[in-house]
Amino acid sequence: MNELSRAQIRDLMAQVVRNQGRVLPDDDSADLREIGFRSLDFSELALRVEDETGEELNFDAPGLRRIATVGDVLDFLAELQRQ
Amino acid sequence: MTVATSPAGLDNRIVVAGVPRSWRDLPAPALPSPGAVLTAGAADALAVARQHATDGTELLLAGPTRVDATMRDELRAAGFAVTVLVDGVPRTVPPATGRAAEAGRLWLLTSGSTGRPKRVGHTLDSLTTVRAAQPQRTWLCPYAPGSYAWWQVVTLSLTQPGQHLVVVDPDELDDWPALAAAHRVDAVSGTPTFWRRTLHRDPEALARVPLRQLTLGGEPVDQTVLDRLRALFPAARISWIYASSEVGASIVVHDGRAGFPVDWLDRAVPGRPTLSLRDGELVVASPHHGVGHDGPVRTGDRAQIVEGRVMITGRLDSDEINVGGSKVSAGLVRDVLTAHPQVAWARVTGRRAPVLGRMVVAEVVPATAPGDAGQPDGASLLDEGALVRWCAERLPEYAVPRRIRLLTEIPVKETLKSDV
Repeated sequence: MNELSRAQIRDLMAQVVRNQGRVLPDDDSADLREIGFRSLDFSELALRVEDETGEELNFDAPGLRRIATVGDVLDFLAELQRQ
Repeated sequence: MTVATSPAGLDNRIVVAGVPRSWRDLPAPALPSPGAVLTAGAADALAVARQHATDGTELLLAGPTRVDATMRDELRAAGFAVTVLVDGVPRTVPPATGRAAEAGRLWLLTSGSTGRPKRVGHTLDSLTTVRAAQPQRTWLCPYAPGSYAWWQVVTLSLTQPGQHLVVVDPDELDDWPALAAAHRVDAVSGTPTFWRRTLHRDPEALARVPLRQLTLGGEPVDQTVLDRLRALFPAARISWIYASSEVGASIVVHDGRAGFPVDWLDRAVPGRPTLSLRDGELVVASPHHGVGHDGPVRTGDRAQIVEGRVMITGRLDSDEINVGGSKVSAGLVRDVLTAHPQVAWARVTGRRAPVLGRMVVAEVVPATAPGDAGQPDGASLLDEGALVRWCAERLPEYAVPRRIRLLTEIPVKETLKSDV
């Protein structure tokens, strides 16, 4: 499996935000609500990760967790690739 | 049942492979009746149609790729001799069970967009939807032999004096404007995909064809393609037609706008189709119907009322995308994309996605820059972000396509449609 690094996932996340005319903050602690990153954006990012790796992500595997910051998104998707 | 024995258009000019002749000049291949004739050749197909019209044979005509081995066996079991016709030479397999021919019966295959093609019974009479005298025209026929649209153009030429025909073979399809200009074609019927593809490939060559009648049908018609054709042909009549093998030609719109007026719904006029909406589905009761399709027929096509017009957006089973509980019409999203000045064509679908269940995704062919025929300029002028922002300004957030793939060429099927 062609696993993406956290930095590569961040690049994809920046692309999702850039397509909407916005800029992804450098700070991993940036609040998702404040930057307007919502479930549609999260789903799009997951598709981009799948397209890059050629593998479907298994969202049933990890337990529920709070995803509130940019760092949370990156950690979650990085972990999901390893499930 | 009316069986024509001497069609009024037999002296009309027909051009096949660039050679002018008349219907009378076509050969008469030896064909059994009832017969299923499979041919890809334009001249062969016209000869079969002429023979049916003059002799009243029972006929099913189709391209060889539309009828697989299983269907050939089904046809033989149903009493048809199956003939493969190549360059006027028939190779016939007799029916498994013999039966008397049904005089004048013409069988069409449905497009098969909802499964295996089905046989629908017509006659030349039920296929003839244009009966009033028409101005003299030379029509281009780009359709595959045996399709409903092909028969529409062919019956017009067979039954109306002054309706000439120029046939384009599938391998000439990309260059049809040159053929059409050479033979003074002034009327063309094609799918929206056919027209978009032509506008995309070579709008200057298209503009040189002296068109007075442009007809679109077979797929949802959006305002953008109508406007782009109007810009090239400001004085021509531009019409779109809703027709199918089951209900015949049921909606004809000449006002240059997509959709039809909402006050056409539930209007009963003797001899005219009655159109209704039931649960978002177009329902048609048509005098031009095929056998077994009388009364109201659920078409399987999704329709929505938008600003006083009834817009047919696509097939029910593929048009609706559920994004996290919000319903999106793929057809309306496609219309927004194709309204972008640098988009020549778009396809919109749903894709499985985490959290929301499905998301809207799209494929797009960028428009060709003027003077740069055949060379998509999308790489420099159009990117995913620009299209996402264009859609975000015009659609609810959940309907904005999030993954947009740029293609270089408009995909097209044998039916001249592109939605697969």
